[in-house]
Amino acid sequence: MFSYHCLPCIQEDAQDLDAFTLAKSYFDLKEYDRAAYFLKGCCSQKAYFLYMYSRYLSGEKKKDDETVDSLGPLEKGQVRNEALRELRVELSKKHTARELDGFTLYLYGVVLRKLDLLKEAVEVFVEAIQALPLHWGAWLELSNLITNIEMLKSLSLPDCWIKDFFMAHMYTELQMIKEALQKYQNLIEAGFSKSTYIISQIAVAYHNIRDIDQALALFNELREHDPYRIDNMDTFSNLLYVKSMKPELSYLAHNLVEIDKYRVETCCVIGNYYSLRSQHEKAALYFQRALKLNPRCLGAWTLMGHEYMEMKNTSAAIQAYRHAIEVNKRDYRAWYGLGQTYEILKMPFYCLYYYRKAHQLRPNDSRMLVALGESYEKLSQQVEAKKCYWRAYSVGDVEKMALLKLAKLHEQLNESDDAAQCYMLYIQDIFSCGEQLEHAEVSTALRYLGQYYFKSKLYDEASICAQRCCDYNDAREEGKALLRQISQVRDQVETPSADLFTPLSNINTPVRRVSPLNLISFTP
Amino acid sequence: MASVHESLYFNPMMTNGVVHANVFGIKDWVSPYKISVLALLYEMTSSKITLPERRRLNKLILPLQQGPDLSLGQFLKTVEECCPKTAYAVKLRLHEMADGELKDMEYFFSTLPTPFTAFDSEAYKTSVVGLFMRHMLLAYNKLSFSQVYKLYKSLQHYYHSHYAKPTDGQVCVPTLAADDSDMDLTSTEDTVGDRADKEELDTPLHESELRCDNTPSRGPLSQKQAEYFLSRQAYLLKNDENKALRPAALQEELNNMLKFNPDFAEAHYLNYLNSMRVQDIFLSAHSLLHYFDRLILSSNEGKSNGDEGYGRSLRYAALNLASLHCRFGHYQQADLALQEAIRIAQESNDHVCLQHCLSWLYTLEHMKGSESTVLTQDSVKMAAHFCLPYLGSLDIQSLVQQGAMQGKAAHKLMDALKDTEILHWKHSLSELIEISLAQTTSIWRMYGKSTMALQQAQLLLNMSSLEPVNFGVHQNNTEAFAVALCHLAELHAEQGLYSATAEIFQHLKEQFPPHTQHSKLWMLCNLKIQFERHMNNRKYHLAEPLVKAMSALNKTEGLYRKAQVLKALNRSTEAYSILQQLQVHCEKTKCTEIIIRVMLSTAELHWESSSFSTALPLLLQALALARQHHLQSLASEGVLHLAFTQLMLGIPGQALTVLHEAMEPILAHGAVIDKGRAMLLAARCHMAVAGFRLKEQGHLGQHSAALAVDGLNEAESYFSRLSCKERLRDVHYLQAQLHRSLGQTAQSNKSAMNFRLLDQELQSPAPPVFMQL
Repeated sequence: MFSYHCLPCIQEDAQDLDAFTLAKSYFDLKEYDRAAYFLKGCCSQKAYFLYMYSRYLSGEKKKDDETVDSLGPLEKGQVRNEALRELRVELSKKHTARELDGFTLYLYGVVLRKLDLLKEAVEVFVEAIQALPLHWGAWLELSNLITNIEMLKSLSLPDCWIKDFFMAHMYTELQMIKEALQKYQNLIEAGFSKSTYIISQIAVAYHNIRDIDQALALFNELREHDPYRIDNMDTFSNLLYVKSMKPELSYLAHNLVEIDKYRVETCCVIGNYYSLRSQHEKAALYFQRALKLNPRCLGAWTLMGHEYMEMKNTSAAIQAYRHAIEVNKRDYRAWYGLGQTYEILKMPFYCLYYYRKAHQLRPNDSRMLVALGESYEKLSQQVEAKKCYWRAYSVGDVEKMALLKLAKLHEQLNESDDAAQCYMLYIQDIFSCGEQLEHAEVSTALRYLGQYYFKSKLYDEASICAQRCCDYNDAREEGKALLRQISQVRDQVETPSADLFTPLSNINTPVRRVSPLNLISFTP
Repeated sequence: MASVHESLYFNPMMTNGVVHANVFGIKDWVSPYKISVLALLYEMTSSKITLPERRRLNKLILPLQQGPDLSLGQFLKTVEECCPKTAYAVKLRLHEMADGELKDMEYFFSTLPTPFTAFDSEAYKTSVVGLFMRHMLLAYNKLSFSQVYKLYKSLQHYYHSHYAKPTDGQVCVPTLAADDSDMDLTSTEDTVGDRADKEELDTPLHESELRCDNTPSRGPLSQKQAEYFLSRQAYLLKNDENKALRPAALQEELNNMLKFNPDFAEAHYLNYLNSMRVQDIFLSAHSLLHYFDRLILSSNEGKSNGDEGYGRSLRYAALNLASLHCRFGHYQQADLALQEAIRIAQESNDHVCLQHCLSWLYTLEHMKGSESTVLTQDSVKMAAHFCLPYLGSLDIQSLVQQGAMQGKAAHKLMDALKDTEILHWKHSLSELIEISLAQTTSIWRMYGKSTMALQQAQLLLNMSSLEPVNFGVHQNNTEAFAVALCHLAELHAEQGLYSATAEIFQHLKEQFPPHTQHSKLWMLCNLKIQFERHMNNRKYHLAEPLVKAMSALNKTEGLYRKAQVLKALNRSTEAYSILQQLQVHCEKTKCTEIIIRVMLSTAELHWESSSFSTALPLLLQALALARQHHLQSLASEGVLHLAFTQLMLGIPGQALTVLHEAMEPILAHGAVIDKGRAMLLAARCHMAVAGFRLKEQGHLGQHSAALAVDGLNEAESYFSRLSCKERLRDVHYLQAQLHRSLGQTAQSNKSAMNFRLLDQELQSPAPPVFMQL
């Protein structure tokens, strides 16, 4: 039965072979009209697809050329691919007659999507996938049309192994990183352990949830397996940038330039490289080059904005960020960047709007919350500021600054109990994360805690804090002074029963969730 | 594979990764429509046309140049209406080009009269026509080869699509027809919608749409056309919102514009204004910030002193944000934004901006309900120093308003207004002239001089707009006009001219539809008039529901009216507590008018419990307050109350002397009802003086009795003018009694019959006559 169907196909293919090969060569040379012309009479499915596809691409190419020659800047929105409608008519005829194979169905879907008939496009892509499940292009086109998880679930897709790839891809797109990672893990276990695609996707997923070390390790692995790879390398460079790994980034940049210097990814990597070396003009130049290669490259707009910010060219930065937002309204980094720009211009109220936008898009990102808090603090809206800082801490503070700021705010408002508590949490936080942070202000926290305990007559705790203070250069003198004070007071108090005093004072002290003695376990 | 399709989105307007609005620095572009206009101009300059036709054509030139592109059919039709001969010539010329070859178009451009050579024609280089021709020639000369070819193609299409229409579409545009028939195969919703859109696009615009130019123009506008569209809409939004596009339509138009040219910053600003109209805080804030983000870019490029230009827009951005929040009633936010603007302005020594900020600060303080006279005085001084007449006189006007509220000497206020008036005319600040007139109206009304108020209101309404460009707007719908019209309505209502009042409200409703900003003014005014009317007719059940509507618009007013209704319904305790509450509130907000009214109402409450002597100090206090603030109508009202109290206390002679004082102003300026009340009271005083007792025949003082008869007759005429039947009934009753005591039986019987008729009609027991003022 199957062979019966296949046989005429093969015959037709053989018939059209010459024309097809000729047309394919023209097609490869991007002479689409020429390719289409020679394919006109062919009846094999293959030739028909190439015929239609050439016409489609020819239309697209002409559209782009047209835009350059438009009769005015205002006409540019009107330029459209004139071939689309004809293609749609022909394809829809064949579609109703059920004469389309997987590839032509895919093309029909693309045409529909270009005509903004999204609902029909989805149906046709699903059909295309069912006809030819192993055509990844159709899956990818479909993924562009899916906006939420409900829609994804409602589609009836063939149960093929490639569906798992698709689901994993969709989960990543829809920011459901956990599910995506699980899917990829399953795929690796099922025998795709050597697939560079999967490794890169996992790395990107880790990057999205800011698990930098995992992502870096995976990218390094990826580069070992696939040394000439350029895809996803911009993400890798972002990670290296965040970690300030100069030599690695420099190596990556040089390597990529050797492979292909006219790729968007390469330009982004070089931009990052220059940015890390504080050569911001050059960095901006390379991001511009990336944008020339692909103006819809969202990341480059934002990164260029950052560079302009570094160069203190605020207006150019605003422009770049605005463009990024135009390309994708949900780009939180651009909104955040705009906020930062206005903050630099000392307009704390004005930047609130932008930070709020960014926060809306990433409700659980502490950086936006801290930025919001800082702005509120500048506007002396302490209540809001406190809320922001506390929330930033609650969602997992990346920069470990929220608590310190909150504590300082409490200190300013003379809410000493709350301040002490925050400092306590801050110290715990700093020590529990293990590594030394540059901006850590443990000494400030200790100094305050020492004073606080001293005032509330908890001399044991105070002396522990004071001793710890002595470990830090900037707080050493104060620590010593506090110790002296404590011993003085103790001498005076010792005469009445010292045993009685301690438990009593414990009762008197305000609420403390953590015993100060816990400090010992967090010694650096 | 997917990336293949994405990367094809290439934006050629981009250089160095930056998109420029005007790539080649040209604002005008040649389009087929423009070529037709050129052809028309060419015909006009070269051929002989009769004078009236030429006049009509001349009138047509500007709209044709500035308006959006029209289809050929519309264009020819408009020209034909003016001059058929020229239309034919233009058509012929276009036909030559469209049915010929590319060289015909080139030839046309080369034959156009060069503005530099044609000295005596309309096409001289500095004329409107010449300028347009120069623009077009320049734009044409800059076109590349393929662009010229494309222009020619589109000209052909433009020409042929006009002739394809009347015949059957299927013959001329086979692809389209085939398309349509095939579309039916997949008849889903989208396809149908899609096709409908297309049809809508293809149908020519109605001719009427050409007439009133603010119809949505489809398709892209050129830079100039877009600018014209924006400025026009912005002007209309400010001055006559009804003539501007509906919010939804305008939004659509703006979206369209932004789609074709995302860098057109001004469109964002108009978007902001439009969103403000529909009270959409989200979108308006978004558009405002977007506008200023864009503005920062453009101002930075253009200015030679780059930093200055760009800092400036920053300051105004913050200031605008403050005003946005102020409009939406977010006073705290507005305050923060304003402080930011002030700080930046101070840092950069921008006094003009600071001055604006100061004005806003005053407004904000005022809206928050705190005292801000000092601030305003400072503001005036600063404005004078920096020569900012607009802000200065705006501040003076607010000072005058405050002064009037605080009872400053009237002549000083009027002097101040007069001085600013001179300033306004000098700088032709028409907006402020309007405000000033409306303010004078209000002040006169407050002082109780209705004639003067009437005159000022008429003055404003009859004044024609002073704006240099008014797009057919005869009467602006600014707040000033709303205020003046409201006063006019109230003044008419006071004289009992209710049909005129209704007409005024009809006009107001049209001019300020309920969703607009100033509609609350007339709504409240309308409610007040209705309320007064029902109260005068003692139809309390009708007045009561109005109170709720009033409280929604103005809380204080609503509360006061509620007390009045309660008092009328004899729920004295509740009324008293509300009045007390109101008095405390108003003393805090320094709302003198309401305080006096509250005092008078409280005194009336005292009457009801027959404690007339306790009402006296209150009345005296109210009178003193009214006199101090020059509130004449309220003062007369106080006098009326006082006289009534004295009458009740049995000293009618004293009451008469007091009443004489108020009689004159009431007759000159008062409402009809007040006149009636005053006359009735006077008559009753005379009767009392004459020694008249109810149900008791005796000898009466002849002179006083005659005066009383006159007074009652006059009161009757006033009340009948208002058709205030309840009061008429009282008057008739008194008349009957009086005539009977005077022994004039016939007249007595007539009055008694009148009373009887009214009593039957009203079917409600009359309240004790002597307890009412």
